[in-house]
Amino acid sequence: MPTHNHTHEAVPDNGGELDPRDAAALLDQTTRRAERQLDLHPPVLMLVAALVVLIAYGAIWLSVRNQHPYTGPTLGALGVLYATLAAFGVLVAVVTRRAISGIGGRSSQRRRGEAIAFAVAWTSVYVFQGALHHAGASHAIAYGIYPAAAPLIIVGSAAAAYEAAKENWEWSGFACAAVVLACVGAFTGPETVWAVMGIGLATLLLARAASRIWLHG
Amino acid sequence: MSAQELDPLIHVPARLRIVATLAALPEGDAVSFPRLQDMIGLTPGNLITHLRKLEEAGYIDTEKTGNGSASRTSVALTRAGRSAFEMYTEALRGLLGGL
Repeated sequence: MPTHNHTHEAVPDNGGELDPRDAAALLDQTTRRAERQLDLHPPVLMLVAALVVLIAYGAIWLSVRNQHPYTGPTLGALGVLYATLAAFGVLVAVVTRRAISGIGGRSSQRRRGEAIAFAVAWTSVYVFQGALHHAGASHAIAYGIYPAAAPLIIVGSAAAAYEAAKENWEWSGFACAAVVLACVGAFTGPETVWAVMGIGLATLLLARAASRIWLHG
Repeated sequence: MSAQELDPLIHVPARLRIVATLAALPEGDAVSFPRLQDMIGLTPGNLITHLRKLEEAGYIDTEKTGNGSASRTSVALTRAGRSAFEMYTEALRGLLGGL
């Protein structure tokens, strides 16, 4: 559909003489505008997410680098991680609330189901971490490689499958890339994995934001 | 194909904006009247007039819930409306391809 630099004010509202080119421009403009207003993951949110990931993983990496033997992140670094994630959670809630305001129907029921399923997936990641600790796994595994990489492998795989089922290839591809990143990152060891995950995930988020702007305007 | 073959119910700026906005919602979803008005930027009277025409054609469904000041009207594209919109966009593409 060609895009002209028209606004809806530029065309008559009585249906008398709407030129097909003007109609196409108006249709394109209206659709893009509606998609932006309904977007739950606007590019700016992904840019903030990239920054959050860099700060959170960066704080952990700074606290664990040069640890011999590896003991795990300090309480201060964990505080930075949880504070950053909490602030980002508030931002996501505000963006979501604005996007879905006044919208009801099937998708709101689906969102509730999604939230429950992904909450179970996230919880299982940390319950399993407890099992690793209980079984005597080393700190390098229980507080290094596993918490840095496993959340993305487990939740990312679930998200990739879910988005693929909806034929949402952009998000499915993003989730697959995150899973691959986590698998590769896990080989770099308990210290470096935090830096690899932080930089890699931030890069993926920036690429995703750029592709959304490029594809959807 | 000529411009006259485009669905005249949709081929009006205000109604094209209404239908395109409703089509951006996932199938099975409805939008409240104030949110639709906010998204499109029409006056309430103008929006009601166009919604009535689309409803008479079976392109949209409106549902009113509650009473008095707590009443809420929601608007959704029907299956026939979505299909008509798809045919309209196809026809428009064909027309522009031929121009």
